[in-house]
Amino acid sequence: MKTQMMRNLTLLLLLAFVLCSSVLSWKKEEFRTCNQTPFCKRARARKPGYSSLSAREIRIENGDLKANLIPTQNHENPEDQHASKPLILTLSVYQDGIVRLKIDEDPNLDPPKKRFEVPYVIVEEFDQTKLWLQTHSTEVDPSSSSSSSVVYLSDGYEAVLRHDPFEVYVREKGGKSVISLNSHGLFDFEQLKVKKQNGDENWEERFRGHTDTRPFGPQSISFDVSFYGADFVYGIPEHATSLALKPTRGPGVEESEPYRLFSLDVFEYLHESPFGLYGSIPFMISHGERTSGFFWLNAAEMQIDVLASGWDAESGISLPSSQSRVDTFWMSEAGVVDTFFFVGPGPKDVVRQYTGVTGRPAMPQLFATGYHQCRWNYRDEEDVEDVDSKFDEHDIPYDVLWLDIDHTIGRKYFTWDRALFPHPEEMQRKLFAKGRHMVAIVDAHIKRDDSYFVHKEATQKGYYVKDANGNDFEGWCWPGSSSYLDVLNPEIRSWFAEKFSIENYVGSTPSLYIWNDMNEPSVFNGPEITMPRDALHQGGVEHREVHNAYGYYFHMATSDGLLKRGDEKDRPFVLSRAFFAGSQRVGAVWTGDNTAEWEHLRVSVPMILTLGLTGISFSGADIGGFFGSPETKLKRNTELIRDAIHMRYTLLPYFYTLFREANTSGVPVARPLWMEFPSDKATFSNDEAFMVGNSLLVQGIYTEGSTTHKLEATEETVPAFQRSGTIIPRKDRFRRSSTQMVNDPYTLVIALNSSQKAEGEVYIDDGKSFAFTQGAYIHRRFVYADGKLTSLNVAPAALGGAQFSSECVIERIIVLGHSGVPKRALIEPEEKTAEIELGPLDLKLGLGSDFITIRKPNLPVAGDWTIKIV
Amino acid sequence: MKKLSVVLISLVICLLIAASTVRSASSPPKFQFLGIAPEDEKYYESSEFIKCKDGSKKFTKAQLNDNFCDCVDGTDEPGTSACPNGRFYCRNKGHVPQVLFSSRVNDGICDCCDGSDEYDNKVTCPNTCWEAGKAARDKLKRKIATYQEGVTIRKQEVERAKAVTAKDEAELSKLQSEEKTLKGLVQQLKERKEQIEKAEEKERLRKEKEEKEKREAEEKRKAELEAKQENGEGVTKADDEYKTIESKDDDKIGSLEGSPSDQDTMEDHDALAAEHIPSDASGNEQPSSLHDVEVHPAKEIEESAAISESGLDVGSKVSPEELVNTGNDVSETTEGLSKEELGRLVASRWTGEDTRKQTEKVDEKDNDLEDNEGTEEMPDDTHDHEDDGYASETDDEHHRYDDDIVEDVEENYKEDPLDSSSSYKYESDTESDSSDESSPSSSSWLEKIQQKVRNILQAVNLFQTPVNQSDAARIRKEYDDSSAKLSKIQGRISSLTQKLKHDFGPDKEFYSLYDQCYESKQNKRWDKFEDSYRVMVFSNGDKCWNGPDRSLKVKLRCGLENEVTDVDEPSRCEYVALLSTPALCHEEKLKELQHKLDLMNKEQPQSHDEL
Repeated sequence: MKTQMMRNLTLLLLLAFVLCSSVLSWKKEEFRTCNQTPFCKRARARKPGYSSLSAREIRIENGDLKANLIPTQNHENPEDQHASKPLILTLSVYQDGIVRLKIDEDPNLDPPKKRFEVPYVIVEEFDQTKLWLQTHSTEVDPSSSSSSSVVYLSDGYEAVLRHDPFEVYVREKGGKSVISLNSHGLFDFEQLKVKKQNGDENWEERFRGHTDTRPFGPQSISFDVSFYGADFVYGIPEHATSLALKPTRGPGVEESEPYRLFSLDVFEYLHESPFGLYGSIPFMISHGERTSGFFWLNAAEMQIDVLASGWDAESGISLPSSQSRVDTFWMSEAGVVDTFFFVGPGPKDVVRQYTGVTGRPAMPQLFATGYHQCRWNYRDEEDVEDVDSKFDEHDIPYDVLWLDIDHTIGRKYFTWDRALFPHPEEMQRKLFAKGRHMVAIVDAHIKRDDSYFVHKEATQKGYYVKDANGNDFEGWCWPGSSSYLDVLNPEIRSWFAEKFSIENYVGSTPSLYIWNDMNEPSVFNGPEITMPRDALHQGGVEHREVHNAYGYYFHMATSDGLLKRGDEKDRPFVLSRAFFAGSQRVGAVWTGDNTAEWEHLRVSVPMILTLGLTGISFSGADIGGFFGSPETKLKRNTELIRDAIHMRYTLLPYFYTLFREANTSGVPVARPLWMEFPSDKATFSNDEAFMVGNSLLVQGIYTEGSTTHKLEATEETVPAFQRSGTIIPRKDRFRRSSTQMVNDPYTLVIALNSSQKAEGEVYIDDGKSFAFTQGAYIHRRFVYADGKLTSLNVAPAALGGAQFSSECVIERIIVLGHSGVPKRALIEPEEKTAEIELGPLDLKLGLGSDFITIRKPNLPVAGDWTIKIV
Repeated sequence: MKKLSVVLISLVICLLIAASTVRSASSPPKFQFLGIAPEDEKYYESSEFIKCKDGSKKFTKAQLNDNFCDCVDGTDEPGTSACPNGRFYCRNKGHVPQVLFSSRVNDGICDCCDGSDEYDNKVTCPNTCWEAGKAARDKLKRKIATYQEGVTIRKQEVERAKAVTAKDEAELSKLQSEEKTLKGLVQQLKERKEQIEKAEEKERLRKEKEEKEKREAEEKRKAELEAKQENGEGVTKADDEYKTIESKDDDKIGSLEGSPSDQDTMEDHDALAAEHIPSDASGNEQPSSLHDVEVHPAKEIEESAAISESGLDVGSKVSPEELVNTGNDVSETTEGLSKEELGRLVASRWTGEDTRKQTEKVDEKDNDLEDNEGTEEMPDDTHDHEDDGYASETDDEHHRYDDDIVEDVEENYKEDPLDSSSSYKYESDTESDSSDESSPSSSSWLEKIQQKVRNILQAVNLFQTPVNQSDAARIRKEYDDSSAKLSKIQGRISSLTQKLKHDFGPDKEFYSLYDQCYESKQNKRWDKFEDSYRVMVFSNGDKCWNGPDRSLKVKLRCGLENEVTDVDEPSRCEYVALLSTPALCHEEKLKELQHKLDLMNKEQPQSHDEL
């Protein structure tokens, strides 16, 4: 890959040193293994070719291709009695190369209840991109004489339903396969049952003293998915593991746990583990000679195997061998098959397609992209003031100060412990006077205290999740005995959202934003530290069906609350620990309670890259670690931290531009190398280095005293490189917070490529409101070619007449890799000149003088202009 | 025309007034010199080309404050925010001048009380220097008063410390010479004692031989009466030997006790061990292996229950492998806990607290707060945390007229250094039965001993055989007494040496703090002074849950008495205490403060009369 060394950014990531062997304190036995999870154990024991379903009665209905899946008579399998009733298969196609496949029980055959489909994940706009099928064609494979139905997708792709045994795949028109489902015949669908009176059936499951009544019997679903033209698969967060997912089964695999998707509050989690953490997104991306993606919209516990090449050697099933391929096996405890195939073909295409279904990442407020300061906890107002003033004393900018659970009365959220925080409004206003914001915590548990207004109302209105017997579920969490709001229900979410109004949330001001923790949900005395699976949500939905999306709905309700509070004019900022597909629309997430160890620093990079690939472009890790205490050589470290944070702030204009790119295309801010260099095989499994946007490459340093790639870099630096051919906008003046930087002038850093060309963009808006959705923003493209830098408008003509203007100028243009001896710069159209000198690239460190600097061109950032180096 | 001229004149006057007001309010320098300290202006006026202070570059006068950063160190942009390393100087007439990070210039926030840091008309900053200055001046005056008195106390303190140190040193050197002499005496006595013992031994052997010969002779004759006499002598001898051993033991014990440093260390260990936090609550460090034994059978059953599933896996059995796996798990006892206990247990993992204590605390707090709600009671410990030394002003003022307290404190100081050592001395002396209780400062006892020993040594004729029994006893007694004395002296020497070895500051001004206890003394290990004797560091305390080893920094402030004014925990398990002490009332600092006040008063505009 072509990069040009920019400089050693002292982007210090962490000052952590290995402290103690706290890894041992992970309570492994409290969590189920696949073998202790009946549906997983059963599914994994099946052999390829197990499935006996064939597609019949193929038809077009409501613009969809439909079929019935019927067990084949001649197939004798003792286990498949439960699949005796036909299932309904629905295949739909959408614009931009998306295929949706649903399989469910036939509602006309009187199932005991409707299986759960996860609401509020798919965006409305997506439904409007549906292509209504009129016909399908049938083709017969001459070699096997098996028949298939084919529908045209778009851009030269076709979706194919093979009839017997049934298989669904997407292929390039008449050619190579892209993704397929059930190619290995592992499809299984357990249908709901009702317990017979006096029946000897007992479906109860017990784990560590907890009993799951399972009133509808086993209802799991499993199938295999193959990715073609793929070397690696990625995605399915959240696991503390490598970016490229290692195989979990097959030749050469010792670790035999599948990747688990079951959102849990895991005390002192391990790095390098397929164990599921706080959030779950059942979306996987494959990359190799092409990129494709697969998403299963299902919120029940999921287990996913990545199968090592050769795992199916004895099955007798042969798939096209001309293409590299990765096979995977998906298992879920409940729900329906509602899956999406994304054809790519490039990495950015797949994330665009996926976020076309689940929504684009929300545009954050500018302040939220600054530095955040958080600790459990700040004792009182004096402590807050002290920490705030210390930042100024050390000239370290920051934007947000966070309050954890102990600012409340007995962990009753929306309250203030007035002995410690007697003047919360004044405290927030003081911070805001310096352009700083505050975040307070609102957790998912509600203290069962009759004097607590939230509890009182929720009880009266029946807004809590119920236990298996229909009583308000009671669990234990930070406040002691607690209950949990049934946020699956929009009415309850709306009621909860009202609690965030300035009027209802006494002590809050408009500069207060919110943080949701423990929303997996965490239940200290529940099975696996969460809610029992047979707890009941409204509409008879069992918690097992909705579990992985619970935190997302809570996050959504909070975000809606802030939206309402600001009269829909203020972009909400809500950070959540739990997440699901779609969370990118409502806020940011962080990687939970990590440990101040190098290994956790190391794994935070693939964790965040994975989140970005699965739509969540706004995420972060506790840099100092939550557990443990990094060793501090204080003085030196304070310097390093200041430099790193200053660097972050100079790059805010670039970051903000990238957030806008994510907001329009789903392409994340932090990207795996292969997203920018998709044909460079060496990058496919690299997760030590990553790209920030398309222009900056960052190589992490993850051990003490290490030197990497023959660079002079230690743990005190993080080398970063600007890619040649790019232009980065910066603001080089340091302020107390991002708020004071708004009017500061820009610096453009141009890294020319071998043909003396470069391009870059800057996006600017008011940093807080939704006016940008009406066109109130500045979006410029800078193009450097033939010794001339030109600024072009790329914003469409304002939609609703909304305008955003900026008087900011460009005070400095730095050109790297310029050949020849320039004398001065000529500004068109005014015919002014600006001086050129050999200048330092960086004011703070004063590194290097090999670059030319155009001094004070003072060009308006919002205007059209050209500047020529002569 | 006349009218017009009047108008003109009044206009001119107005302008003049306006100009003078402006000048007297802040008298801003030319924009080009904005942000430059007056004493620095020469640097910028010197020539057409000005050097960056770090020597890296030159810039023209036109580039001074032209809102573009030319010097990495910020030399060329003292008055703008263009340079990240720049510093902005505001004069703040009527108050104290201030140097800001240049990032504060034109950022929309008024930082200088004269408003000079905001000049781009985006915000208007009123000049508040006079009001702020008055408060600061008053504060400064109070501080100066404290310092004035503090300096006197400190001087007395230093004198006292000098006297005490000199005394201690004199005592030490005297003790050392006494030790030397005494050592010599003891050595002599020892030698003489050994000679006596040798002689006695010889005598004994001779006697034995004689006895033998006698016995042999008696055997031949009659033997009844002589046998009785022989037995009596044997008993006496055994007695003597026993005594010698005893006194040796005494020596050993004495020297052990005489080393206070050893003792302290031992105490520390004990205290640390006692303070060790029970770790079973968090389960991090000590999984309760005892409980494991109870858990396993239950877990196996449970596991097989989890795996079996009616209709599908009925009859399937837990593989031995799984059982082994389960058996190896290090587990907490969760079995048999009530739902609530389980919840508390899991919560305690994050807090590191004892489960029962934690929840009680939450509940308690909860209740307390609810009771207090509305009344808005504030805890009465609102100490100022400023680092500028203004911190304990109110306290100082409060105490400075409180003569009783001051006197008390002074009295304490007089006694203290002696007290600790003398109490030790008396204690050990009372244990001994020696009769000469003269203070060690008078050396007559030594002379007496010397004389005594000389006499004894002269009196005892070694070559007299048989050895005179009473002489031998005297020698032994003298030897015992002298060596006991010696070990006592050695103990005192070692404690004095330890004390004098401590860092009591350049003027030994912290001498009076020796062995003092202010509020609760923690069993932390005294480490060192930091920040030119303004901070005392106690480090390497016991391990803190999910945090570093406990440590304490004691920040010292000038005050009229030694007292702890505040304790804080700014970072987990890192404590900071404020201790006011006259030891910190330096004369130079007082001069500095007075100078500062003079400056502030000098800048005072005519219109404002403070007094």
